[in-house]
Amino acid sequence: MTDTPLMTAIELYLTLGVAVFLLSLHGLMTLHDPIRRLIAVNLMGAGTFLVMVSLARRSEVPDPVLHALVVTGLVVAISATAFALRLIIAAHTEGGKQRDREDRNTEGGGKQPP
Amino acid sequence: MNFALLSLAIPLFSGLLLLLCGRALRTRITGFIAIASTLISLVCAWFALQEVAAAGTSLLLNLGGWETGLAIRMRLSSLSALLLLFTALMHLLIGLYAGLNRAGINRDFWALSCFLHGSLAALWLSADLFNLYITLELLGLTAVAMVALSGKKAYRPAAHYLILSLAASLFYLLGVALLYGRYGELDVLLLAPRTEADVTTRLALLLMTTGLMLKSALWPLHLWLPPAHASAPTAVSALLSGLVVKGPLYILWVLWSEVAPPALAQQIGPVLAIAGMIALTAGGLSAMRSPSIKTLVAYSTVAQLGYALMALGLLLTWQLPQMHIALWLFVIAHGLAKASLFLAAGEMQSSLGTRRVAGLRGATQTVPVAMFAFAVAGGSLIGLPPSGGFLAKWVLLEPLLSQPQNWPWALGVLLGTLVSAAYIFRVVALSFDRARINPPDINPDRVGHWLALLPALMVWGMALSGEWLIQLLAGGGV
Amino acid sequence: MSAELLPDMTLTLLLLIMAWGALYAPQRSDAMALFIAFGVVVALIWARLDAPDLALAEAAIGAGLTGVLLMHAARALPDELHRSNRTATYWGALAFAVVASLMFLAHLLTDDSLLNAGLLDTDSDVTPSLRVLADANVADSGVSHPVTAVLLNFRAWDTLLELLVLLFALSGLRQLFPRESAPDDHATSRWPESLALMSAWARVLAPLLVVTGGYLLWRGSSAPGGAFQAGSLLAAAAVMLRLTGLLPALRWSSVWLRLSVVAGALFFLSVAAATAIWGDGWLTYPAAASGLLIVSIEIFATLSIAITLSLLVIGEWEDLRS
Repeated sequence: MTDTPLMTAIELYLTLGVAVFLLSLHGLMTLHDPIRRLIAVNLMGAGTFLVMVSLARRSEVPDPVLHALVVTGLVVAISATAFALRLIIAAHTEGGKQRDREDRNTEGGGKQPP
Repeated sequence: MNFALLSLAIPLFSGLLLLLCGRALRTRITGFIAIASTLISLVCAWFALQEVAAAGTSLLLNLGGWETGLAIRMRLSSLSALLLLFTALMHLLIGLYAGLNRAGINRDFWALSCFLHGSLAALWLSADLFNLYITLELLGLTAVAMVALSGKKAYRPAAHYLILSLAASLFYLLGVALLYGRYGELDVLLLAPRTEADVTTRLALLLMTTGLMLKSALWPLHLWLPPAHASAPTAVSALLSGLVVKGPLYILWVLWSEVAPPALAQQIGPVLAIAGMIALTAGGLSAMRSPSIKTLVAYSTVAQLGYALMALGLLLTWQLPQMHIALWLFVIAHGLAKASLFLAAGEMQSSLGTRRVAGLRGATQTVPVAMFAFAVAGGSLIGLPPSGGFLAKWVLLEPLLSQPQNWPWALGVLLGTLVSAAYIFRVVALSFDRARINPPDINPDRVGHWLALLPALMVWGMALSGEWLIQLLAGGGV
Repeated sequence: MSAELLPDMTLTLLLLIMAWGALYAPQRSDAMALFIAFGVVVALIWARLDAPDLALAEAAIGAGLTGVLLMHAARALPDELHRSNRTATYWGALAFAVVASLMFLAHLLTDDSLLNAGLLDTDSDVTPSLRVLADANVADSGVSHPVTAVLLNFRAWDTLLELLVLLFALSGLRQLFPRESAPDDHATSRWPESLALMSAWARVLAPLLVVTGGYLLWRGSSAPGGAFQAGSLLAAAAVMLRLTGLLPALRWSSVWLRLSVVAGALFFLSVAAATAIWGDGWLTYPAAASGLLIVSIEIFATLSIAITLSLLVIGEWEDLRS
């Protein structure tokens, strides 16, 4: 399939993007470790961006609109990933026991003294 | 259009201001600023609604003054103006509760709630597929941050929610990329006449639909919702269930009723409607079995979204404008009723010191106002006349009952009604059990109980303005 | 097989192997390392696809910041959180992924609607596509680099919302440190001592990163680069200095920190409001001042992006709450 002379690099990369997306979707559905699931989501993002950048390269001069959209997407991805990773770490580390007990008393959570 | 922009910008500005001021402001003043800005935003949304009603058609704004096709466009239709108003009203009601009830709330709630308000306003106004993607991300991040306000016990559901929400956004984004690749446009209104029912378009729409259904917890992609919504602080649960899940639903509506070619929309319609029917029953049964109060209310969100999904599916199948009215009436009625339900549930939890449904024995005596709020809001979910829920259900049922071949759908609605009645009455019946009363807190928080009742009264008041709402939505919303 | 496709084939194969490894490597630390390597291969592919803006951003974000983030995770969570990875590998779903990708490829090879639509040649009866209009209007945008023109002028509203995404993520992170007083389990520095050995390197590398970041910002209006690339490089520099102990903790109680975090979004939003009130409409820059406005927005945005990203990566209790 892949060695047909008809295929261009753009088609190759478009397919690669879709393949990475699906592969990591498979990972997201089957893996249980939250860190690995987060990696899977990031790989899905990379697959999506790969599709966008390949589409941008269809013309001789790459499409600036798609490049700008991917830059935006990258910043969104890193901020969300950072937050998610810190959230996972906080959820799975010990040491929050006392905070846990306080929360049970004040439903509504995290109430601060004024 | 300027009023709509004000309604969007004011919450964002005040959120930034609150973040900037930090602890320099006292908690009380922080809350005051947030509520005041919500109030101003509400007034602006009202004027925006008047503006679009006077114009008689939807208003478009090319951002940056660039020509159509290049600029991101904002669209103020009668529907988006109504949703702006609804968002501000919900924030106001829940903000008042959060500020005045006795338990109080974390200071950070206020900035986050302003941000949530701004994100939703940006979503209702946007008419650009990629811009909608960013608003989805904004919505997801603020929602997760607000769930995390509960402290450590909420981190796990919050992390799960965030990962799924990010994956769902990427489904949507891949669909947008394919549509852009196929048609070279991102603007909803420019895409609408050009889309064809070819393989690429089908694939893109399928991806986007999957992502959006996951985001708004539509059956069968709803499993993340109950833990996330039940573990958040009470005021946040109300915002999440009442408002946040409606954002992706709006995009789904835009996608299928405008962007998709009508032939495809007619094919997908029955599928969505059947998923809605299953959601009604399955969500209701889970709510019936749920041991904790908040989880019961959260599952009832899954069930109630089934009505909206069903209305959307039937709208697409038959292209009936009446279904459009039913869809948005459901959204508004459910938002108000669900706010009341969550606030009442939270109040009863803290007054009675229990999270279990079984702990509500004798609640009519011990916490009468909160229990009344729960029952009144539940009445609207069941669809008792003359509540907002009844209004929506009536608009939905009318075309179903008039044609005998549509009766199976009507049967689905009936079944859903029975199941919702079952889980509401399960709670109400327990609360009348005076034999084994669960003793309450010595000094219950009366203000909180009354504030929980307020949205429920409004949803019953919706019936009074029913004519006006139907008129407003009758234009097709665009 | 044509020879010019050989490097692309190699990159494809490499990327698939990295992706597989990042998902299913037996040890989680290996998976993380492969994920970082995946980022490097992606940056190569972007250079190959003529996307220098993205290659720059990926290099700074993917290799630098993500690496530190994952290192943090590896240290905080030494064990696999769930051991049941092996039991549930759905070969059916995997086969679906492979078959679906091949079907997509077959579709691409037989139907050229995706590959040839939306290109420069547009039908005369429809409005010209977004891309054609963007190319045609770069001259009026105030900057000469088309990607910057799209980001900060044509689609400035996207960029404004994106600054808010950063800010919301940071607000979320602050919820993980709920208490205003120092937590009991709080240790002043939780980073390993061995990092201090890197400080000699950091002393050399960090100024270089800062200078490069400034250069990228400056040249963003005419060539690949701009606020995001510059901001993420600066963030990487700040993270490195912080890790090696050369930079003291930032303090949330300092108004300057809070100001620099919100500066980008606040300034951008104020420009939007000002143009709506006194100008021609929301985000419509006055023609004469658009270049200047874009540059000032970029400067504030770079500052906010740098500080916010570095806080997102290494922010601890003293940075975010004290």
